[in-house]
Amino acid sequence: MRCYNCGCQLSEKDFCTGCGADVALYKRIMYTSNFFYNEGLEKANVRDLSGAVISLRQSLKFNKNNVQARNLLGLVYYEMGEVVKGLSEWVISKNLRSKKNIADDYIDMIQQNPSRLDTINQTIKKYNLALGYCQQDSLDLAVIQLKKVLSLNPKYVRAHQLLALLYMKAEEWEKAGKELDKCSRIDTGNTTTRRYRKEVDKMLEKAESVKAKGGTRKKKIAEDTIKYQSGNETIIQPINNRESKGVSVALNIGIGILIGVSAACFLILPAKEDADTSSAQEELRIVSEQLDKKTGTIEEMEQEIRQIREENEQLKQEVNDYAGNDGKMEVVDGLLNAVSVYMESPENTERVGQALEKIDVQAAEQVESEHFQSLYRILLTEAGPSVAASYYKSGMDAYQKEMFEEAIEDLEKAAEYDPENGDILYNLGNAYRQNDNREEAIQAYTQVVEKFPGTERARRSQNFLKELNEDAE
Amino acid sequence: MINFEEELKKFHPSLEVEDAEDAIYNQDLTDVADVLIGMMKEVKEEALDLE
Repeated sequence: MRCYNCGCQLSEKDFCTGCGADVALYKRIMYTSNFFYNEGLEKANVRDLSGAVISLRQSLKFNKNNVQARNLLGLVYYEMGEVVKGLSEWVISKNLRSKKNIADDYIDMIQQNPSRLDTINQTIKKYNLALGYCQQDSLDLAVIQLKKVLSLNPKYVRAHQLLALLYMKAEEWEKAGKELDKCSRIDTGNTTTRRYRKEVDKMLEKAESVKAKGGTRKKKIAEDTIKYQSGNETIIQPINNRESKGVSVALNIGIGILIGVSAACFLILPAKEDADTSSAQEELRIVSEQLDKKTGTIEEMEQEIRQIREENEQLKQEVNDYAGNDGKMEVVDGLLNAVSVYMESPENTERVGQALEKIDVQAAEQVESEHFQSLYRILLTEAGPSVAASYYKSGMDAYQKEMFEEAIEDLEKAAEYDPENGDILYNLGNAYRQNDNREEAIQAYTQVVEKFPGTERARRSQNFLKELNEDAE
Repeated sequence: MINFEEELKKFHPSLEVEDAEDAIYNQDLTDVADVLIGMMKEVKEEALDLE
């Protein structure tokens, strides 16, 4: 012990030998602090942790520099699950005495295991959350949280006490008793735990007395059992379970059979029916799925058929466009044939004429191709006069023989291939007139008058026109 | 008979690890020895003043 004034080592005298200060009272304070420390140590040894906390705090009230008392207080807090409080005491202790201090080891132990520290912090947070649930009257949630807390830190006395209190509130006395037992095992002298324990024991006794009045049957059961105490647990064990024989056995068998049949009727059969129904429903579902699939396939195929038909129509249209609905292809083919014949034998006017006859003149005029029209005109220009001359000759022969219909036929063709030939037109008019085709004759003569005015044929045509008009009148 | 509400009031939230620093700084470390020393100093100063 050192002097508070000069720091000299104190002797057994009541004053400091170094500075002369009165240290009698100071010494008494130090002794008192040590006394409380010793008391706290004794209590801690018998696991009266609450009592130890009180004594050690008293010790520190007298002498804050009592490092041993502070370290022990931290250790007791830690044992009760109050880790932060314990840690605080150790940190202060380390500040008071930085060397040769066991608090160093305690702090290192916690700091070297960060996961343990994290678990401790989680525990504290959950405890605080549970307390919040209690204040919000969510007791079920609070119980769940507290169970989690205790699974992480089974020595947390306050959590055990709060859980016991919640069980007491729910009148679950046995569970509350178990929690309080756990509390007692950690901290034997805790007054809160004892108070709760007293209440729980009272309620359990009351429940036992109610049960005891429950009737003779219960008594009989009690007589048939052995009841003994194992620690804080009350164990009830049956002596034996002999079955009664004779009629009661037969009766029991009968009841068993009846229960079996009932179970079959009310449980097994409905279950089987349910199974059958579900199986049928499953099959129906499968069939429905297949049907849906096939319907989908049919729809797809119908769609394909429609597309194929449309394509077919389109192709037909294209073919028609190429071939020509009005025989354009035939006309073109006829022209090519005529050109071929003319190129092979231009002098054979009969063959050329036959080839040209196969060309439908009206269809040829409707062909829009410029190349076709050009070729057609060239052929007519080149081969037309000679073909026309051939027809003109045969026509005139028939005319001479007064075969006017044949003459008209040949002369019409001759006029077709050589429309600028006045003789052909004039003689065609004559043939019409001789065959009594008056209208056609007038047309032919009119063309002669208009196309070849001032010629002998025009003058004669004019005369015939006059005659024909007069006859009509 | 224990009153649940009254008992519940006796339970307070625990200090979390983050709060440990504040708790250490705010702890009142004055002890009886400090009070005695203070008193002795005051008596001594008063005696000096009287002289």
